[in-house]
Amino acid sequence: MTIGADARGGGTEAGESDLAGLLRRVAARDEAAFKTLYQRTSAKLFGIVFRILPTRDAAGEALQDAYVRIWERAGDFDAARGSPLAWMGTIARNRALDEVRRVRPSSMEDLPESFEPAADEIDPLASRERSEQLAALIACLEALEKEKRSILLLAYYRGASREALAKRFGRPVPTIKTWLQRSLAQLRDCLSS
Amino acid sequence: MTPDDDLAAAEFALGALSPAERATLAARRLREPDLDAAIRAWEARLAPLAEATPPIEPPADYFPAIEARIRSASAADTDPIIRSLRRSVARWRMGALAASAIAAVLAVGFGVREATHERIPREYVAILQKDAASPAFEVTVDLDREEFTVRPVAAEPPPGKSYELWIIDPRLGLPRSLGVIGEGARSASLAAYDRAVVENATYAITVEPPGGAPNGKPSGPPVFVGKLIPVGP
Repeated sequence: MTIGADARGGGTEAGESDLAGLLRRVAARDEAAFKTLYQRTSAKLFGIVFRILPTRDAAGEALQDAYVRIWERAGDFDAARGSPLAWMGTIARNRALDEVRRVRPSSMEDLPESFEPAADEIDPLASRERSEQLAALIACLEALEKEKRSILLLAYYRGASREALAKRFGRPVPTIKTWLQRSLAQLRDCLSS
Repeated sequence: MTPDDDLAAAEFALGALSPAERATLAARRLREPDLDAAIRAWEARLAPLAEATPPIEPPADYFPAIEARIRSASAADTDPIIRSLRRSVARWRMGALAASAIAAVLAVGFGVREATHERIPREYVAILQKDAASPAFEVTVDLDREEFTVRPVAAEPPPGKSYELWIIDPRLGLPRSLGVIGEGARSASLAAYDRAVVENATYAITVEPPGGAPNGKPSGPPVFVGKLIPVGP
């Protein structure tokens, strides 16, 4: 469990700009820079994929695919559209989501075994270190009702399907779908205001 | 793009769509730049949440595996055509993976002599496309499994027509049909083709009457073409 502070928090200005510099070098096919980038971000990205794919094999595959993709697409990174870690995290998360939706097509009756409400709930509202972007998002999340916020966050952090969320919260699937859509629309409006 | 599309983009970015919905949207975004932009915008809105994810140290043997994969990929980087194809693969392979849930798959036997397995990439992919922005079919050759798979990713044949896949190489003379796509497995073995031909041939899709070209020859010019590039380790 070791990782640089910059990667842990998504963090400091200097950390993020270092990562951007590493990505530029990776785009120029600099393998040493790629290794440094991996060392500084892999625990973060593994944390993301492992919560969606809670077996070592599946999470490992997804992580490796994600870094191959980061190597291939480093030139596409655009600092104007978000932080390096946000960009890399999105690649890793999408890879994990593709996999979880492929492997567990429609049954999805359960969240992963490790899925215990209290055990490992991520609450961004409790995070002390916040980027400007996260702070803005949290302000908007706080405006959601608690249950709806929990549902949205479980979908995000666990890749939980509507069916799994319906079961967990004892609500019909269409209700979950409607709530998610309303919450997302509310977030969009809040963020743009 | 409708307001509903923006919500669908939001749910895609969140990850809450069902597999079929996810696959449909993954295919649509390849053809609809507005939808693609909406998904990216939603990914950017939600991405700060990842900051709050506690890190987990991955096993130490992952990085060597990643390094091996990027090095084998780099070997093909000297060829500009392969380079541009590789970029296409990288850009839309994620979509292809998701789209495979709805994709019709044509699998045909692929005979490769054991001796040829050494020191060659295990997997090849060809992206058959009209232009760089519109990949339409993914052709994968898996040498280990001796499988040859075609996945239509973002293309539907015109009504009342079929798509047919061809292998084209000067050594073969005329284009040879590899089968009609979307009709399930068909006994068109590639064992008849030399490995060098399989690796270097052009793969093409033509629009044909239902069931395929009537006399075994393409009825018209290819609508999608591509060549195989190694992607495996």
